[in-house]
Amino acid sequence: MLSRTADNLYWLARYVERAEYLARILEATQRITAMPLAYVGETNEWASAVATAGCSGAFFAAHEEANEETVTEFLAFSTANPSSILNCFEVARSNARAIRTALTVEMWDAINTTWLELKRFGNRPQSRDEFARFLRWVQESSLRFDGSAYRTMLRNDAYWFSRIGVYIERADNTARILDVKYHLLLPEDEHIGGPLDYYQWAGILRSVSALTAYHWVYRESLKPWLVADLLILKDQLPRSLSSCYENLVQNLDRIANAYGRQGPAQRQARAVRTKLQNSRMEEIFGEGLHEFIGGFIADNNRLGEAIRQQYLA
Amino acid sequence: MRIRISHETVYRYDQPAGGVIQTLRLTPRNHVGQFVVDWRIDVSENCELAQHEDAFGNIVHTFNADGPFTELRVLAEGEVETQDTGGVVRGTIERFPESLYLRETPLTRLDPAIAEFARAASAAAGGGALKALHGLLARLHGEMAFDTDPTHPATTAAEAFAMKRGVCQDLTHVFIAAARSLGVPARYIGGHFHRNDGVVAQEAGHAWAEAFVPDLGWVAFDPANGISATDAHVRVAVGLDYLGAAPVRGTRTGGAGEALTVAVQVAQAGRQMQS
Repeated sequence: MLSRTADNLYWLARYVERAEYLARILEATQRITAMPLAYVGETNEWASAVATAGCSGAFFAAHEEANEETVTEFLAFSTANPSSILNCFEVARSNARAIRTALTVEMWDAINTTWLELKRFGNRPQSRDEFARFLRWVQESSLRFDGSAYRTMLRNDAYWFSRIGVYIERADNTARILDVKYHLLLPEDEHIGGPLDYYQWAGILRSVSALTAYHWVYRESLKPWLVADLLILKDQLPRSLSSCYENLVQNLDRIANAYGRQGPAQRQARAVRTKLQNSRMEEIFGEGLHEFIGGFIADNNRLGEAIRQQYLA
Repeated sequence: MRIRISHETVYRYDQPAGGVIQTLRLTPRNHVGQFVVDWRIDVSENCELAQHEDAFGNIVHTFNADGPFTELRVLAEGEVETQDTGGVVRGTIERFPESLYLRETPLTRLDPAIAEFARAASAAAGGGALKALHGLLARLHGEMAFDTDPTHPATTAAEAFAMKRGVCQDLTHVFIAAARSLGVPARYIGGHFHRNDGVVAQEAGHAWAEAFVPDLGWVAFDPANGISATDAHVRVAVGLDYLGAAPVRGTRTGGAGEALTVAVQVAQAGRQMQS
């Protein structure tokens, strides 16, 4: 396969995943800001949404204040923000067009239809309700794309590269949520168990579709260290760091087997997977949750770079 | 190196066994230089295979098989990807301070002959724990002959050292006793070794030792081969001695006339090259 094709497949999957993630962040923020102030405290959730999306710099260069209007505009529809939902689908679609023949009809249909329908929202949703419907639609579009890849693609290097794109983006996204919200998850947090924290923790879990999953796994009320445990170390949760790396290792391994050679990307992915498997939550808290997440984001970026050098460039 | 391992233990009983309980330390874990691509354990009788972790961080499976049966097979197999780290073992699960591994056990009891041997090897090697250990490794490999005849699983370090012969387990016990006598924490590693002479079928797993060197961490020494561990070594279980890291331990009711055979196959998998 041409490295160019691999590059398009990889970024196509990454951008679709990123659009979904932005929609999840916005939905969670909308929900938490709908709570009375007494429940959630005097935090600026919209600024924290921008930080979780990783574009605080660009945002505050363009806007003075982070509020519902500016943030939804910036994260969803801004053409100036390269990682807005609008731009994610735009870039995803142009990647897809470049490798139209490497995709199945269903995949192309999913991404192209999404792009066309996006024009319908061109005039911006007029109400909160309409915006909420838009966010749901973004997530459904990503589901449709992901599902058509899963159900229709040949299991060869094209499929594996697109999976790698999904999981490296997903790992990055979950890590970013933890990075912005880590202070809420520290066990020695003073107002432990207050309503403020409950809604924040539930918000974190909702943003990765894990609120129900939490209760299935732990069968108890929300505890911050268990929330961190679920999102970092539990293989069962499809958006946990551990699960993302399980899949990254598997797919990179398949590529290595098919090509008959392996390199830094495989070694880096295995090293991170090993670190996650051999870690326990007490040790992570002992060494500092923030440092651990920071280290993970750096490791994940190193893997992205290794994949780029080895396969995409 | 990608190594494919199959480790089968077969018990045959003249009179049917009424029930068997076993504890298995057959599952390798990941660390820097070793990655388990895929692994499974298969027991020939219907039973629940419960997985947990022992105090050293080894993955342990236990099962309880109800008889009667005249044959029981336990198969562990899978694929492991390894890298040569020059013998330095990093990224392992450490639940205890290193000093715990100075503890003596019945199998690794120090006797004057081993203590004298360790002192001499260390003095000849010059200063530094690492040099002393390499000196010890070379001498032990030279002085003790590999011989499967005279020893058995319960042979102590002192007995094997007196005979100057033994299997990898005995050499490892002597190495551990000697290292501990020098004040160096040392532990027993059970695992597999891929032979580069093309021999795939082996009669048993392999064993070697790890010793703790300040500023470097745990370093693996394989006295049976006279080398530090390479990418041909797959590390499965750790313990203070053989008993702590034994692949299979258990008990049974009935089943007189038990005969045990172990078949291990360690082969290089695929045709993968490093780029």
